[in-house]
Amino acid sequence: MSDSILSLRSYNPVVKVLAPVPAMIVAGLSRDLWTPAVFAVIGLVMLLIAGRPRARTLAWLLAGPPLLVALLTVSFGVWTDPALVDDTTAVLELGPFTLWSGALVTGLATGLRVAAVMLLALIAGLTTDGTDLVRSMIAHLRMPYRIGYAGFAAMRFVPRFRRDLEIIRLAHRVRGVDGGRGPVATLRRYSGYAVPLLAGAMRHGDRVSLAMEARGFGAHPTRTERRHVPLRARDAVLALWLVAVCFVPHLTGVL
Amino acid sequence: MSDVLLRLTGVSVRHEVYGEDGSMSHGPPRPQEVSAELRAGEVVLLLGPSGCGKSTLTLTTNGLIPQVVTSRMDGTVTVAGVDTTATTVPGLAADVAMVFQDPDAQIVTATLFDEVCFGPENLLLPVGEVLGRAEEALRRVGLWERRDDDPEHLSGGGRQRLAIACALALRTPVLVLDEPTANLDPAGVEEVYRTLREIAAERDRAVLLVEHNLDAAIDFVDRVIVLDAAGRVVLDGPARTTLIEHVDELVALGVWLPVATLAALRLRAAGIAVEPLPLTPRELAAVLDEHPTLPPPRARSAAESTPEPSIRVRNLTVHHGRHAVLHDVSLTVRAGEFVAVAGANGAGKTTLAQAIAGVAGARRGAVTVTGPAGFVFQNPEHQFLTNRVEDELAYGMRVLRLSPAEIGARVDDLLDRLGLRELRTVHPFLLSGGQKRRLSVGTALVTRPKVLVLDEPTFGQDRERAAELLDLLDALHRDGTTVVVVSHDMHLVAEYATRLLVLAEGRVIADGPPAEVYADAAVLAAAGLRPPPIAQAVRALTHHPEWHGLTRLADLPACETAR
Repeated sequence: MSDSILSLRSYNPVVKVLAPVPAMIVAGLSRDLWTPAVFAVIGLVMLLIAGRPRARTLAWLLAGPPLLVALLTVSFGVWTDPALVDDTTAVLELGPFTLWSGALVTGLATGLRVAAVMLLALIAGLTTDGTDLVRSMIAHLRMPYRIGYAGFAAMRFVPRFRRDLEIIRLAHRVRGVDGGRGPVATLRRYSGYAVPLLAGAMRHGDRVSLAMEARGFGAHPTRTERRHVPLRARDAVLALWLVAVCFVPHLTGVL
Repeated sequence: MSDVLLRLTGVSVRHEVYGEDGSMSHGPPRPQEVSAELRAGEVVLLLGPSGCGKSTLTLTTNGLIPQVVTSRMDGTVTVAGVDTTATTVPGLAADVAMVFQDPDAQIVTATLFDEVCFGPENLLLPVGEVLGRAEEALRRVGLWERRDDDPEHLSGGGRQRLAIACALALRTPVLVLDEPTANLDPAGVEEVYRTLREIAAERDRAVLLVEHNLDAAIDFVDRVIVLDAAGRVVLDGPARTTLIEHVDELVALGVWLPVATLAALRLRAAGIAVEPLPLTPRELAAVLDEHPTLPPPRARSAAESTPEPSIRVRNLTVHHGRHAVLHDVSLTVRAGEFVAVAGANGAGKTTLAQAIAGVAGARRGAVTVTGPAGFVFQNPEHQFLTNRVEDELAYGMRVLRLSPAEIGARVDDLLDRLGLRELRTVHPFLLSGGQKRRLSVGTALVTRPKVLVLDEPTFGQDRERAAELLDLLDALHRDGTTVVVVSHDMHLVAEYATRLLVLAEGRVIADGPPAEVYADAAVLAAAGLRPPPIAQAVRALTHHPEWHGLTRLADLPACETAR
């Protein structure tokens, strides 16, 4: 783990998750084009400079947002109710269909808003280890450690459930369960999976909790934390910066 | 004499039972009025027939019963002088460490190192101490090099060794292990026992072990405590002498003895003096070698399979994603064979079994089966569909639109065969483990399959329930059903199977009568298998080469047939 001040990984996870929230709200509620565009660019630049993405992630970061914006622009352009935008310029006429500039602008703004919120969320998402986030929440948000560690244990349940469900589906098919097609039959089939799945999950959960208690989980109000997740001056700077960018839309108003 | 570390005084436990109207009562006490003391340096094996409360008793040693599991406990348990009801379960974690049966249900964190640190962290030890203990514990079980791995990537044996490391890191005076190898393959069992043997040799703590695999445990246990079916202590004494002197009592109680001992009893019954009674294959070999002559082994009854093929697999290749699980497997099974499929985890056993039964995976035309095939999954609960035992059996026949009279007759017949007549209106999930297993076999039998395929039918079960199920399969086999079982239980394979198929990395690496396959050390090593105890013993004979091919109890000379 890099401790460089230029690496987002060295910042406090809780700060990375919470500090972009005001900016996400401002970007999500904006109605113009500039605000979300500026936030998207800020998020992207921060990730490119300080997120140190791997090649694959980098490719997605660079190609994903423009593709998303383009997709939303075109689809809004085609699907927006013409009655709302027929006072704008007709960009293209194709038989009975007219493409209005207003529709394209709505699409572009929506695309930019989604991209901005996503990129701001990825500041934490791409640079944070889940266990560190939980550790930091316990240390800095005073979350009870029981809840945090219950979360860890629950995360380990997920792949197990998926495997169990797969086997139960096969097992039921072997027994000759075939409710036919369609949503009702599917629903009925899945409700048949629930009993064995839940019975297995409850038993597993019971065993895990017995094993955890046997290993002293809950013996004291706190636990030893081997890895201290720091909360430093740089985290305050990051938080201030992300709050400060919320004033960008007002600036564009002045300009 | 050193101090008593664990003291049980008149301990009885009654589990809560719920009647059909939802009323709660307490069942019979299992265990019942158990009094015992464990001292530092002792390794004590707890034995008893299935259902006598062995596992329940282990849960009382750190207060899980009665504090967490709501059962009624009478009597007292003290650990290092502290009453287990006077403090909390986590508060006892510095005194008693536990290793449970299911390695998957003991893992909380994402790396081996974090996992071992989990306990000491809970005890609020300083960071330096946590790190030191974690390293020492991981080194002792041989997993230090893998400390940064995800526990998920370990084998079953590896995960159970990790659970032992987690227990060691708590540095408790008492270590309790509840069937630590029941869910493991033979290589895993060996791994875990190698580790346990080393820990026991240090003599620095009291170890209480529940284990039905006596063959693995007997050589490092000092003392045995035997419970009877009612959960009372009937024997408590030094391991060897207790087992040897009370062998008839133990047999009568239904306690599973080491296979070498069972073999010796059988030979004694046939008039061959086997003195002293052996407990391990090596001892059996030594005793037999003292005899100048031995009667010839029993001729194996010729296989009753007919030449007509029942299952034909042609060039079967199965992919899971991009990864090929089976490579170009071809084989023919004749009607009436009892085929065991063995191999290490991930060798493709389940995939092959599912393809044979037509459950999943096979390309059209790769597998042909004469007559209907039934498939029994590893976990019976996964297959249950209805709320009553009898409906469960009737379900498959209703799908086939048989007449109600026919369905009723077949259900009655099956209930008798499976020993479930009294339980016909019970919810399948409320049956005991062995009953659930029998019912799941029953659901596969209703369509009268010519071929029955079972995936790990004895997994996680004790010997008694396993034997019960195998007798059922054996009866089906004698009636002409072709049986295919996926199993790494070598005792089962040796005693029942007429043919053993060994898979490694998706290919068949051996195929023949079990006795021949066991003679091939290279194949066994490649597949992580171990020859059954009888084969180990007779192979060590120097004076009686004519016995070298034996693998089963049933091969031994005897005056009566007994298993």
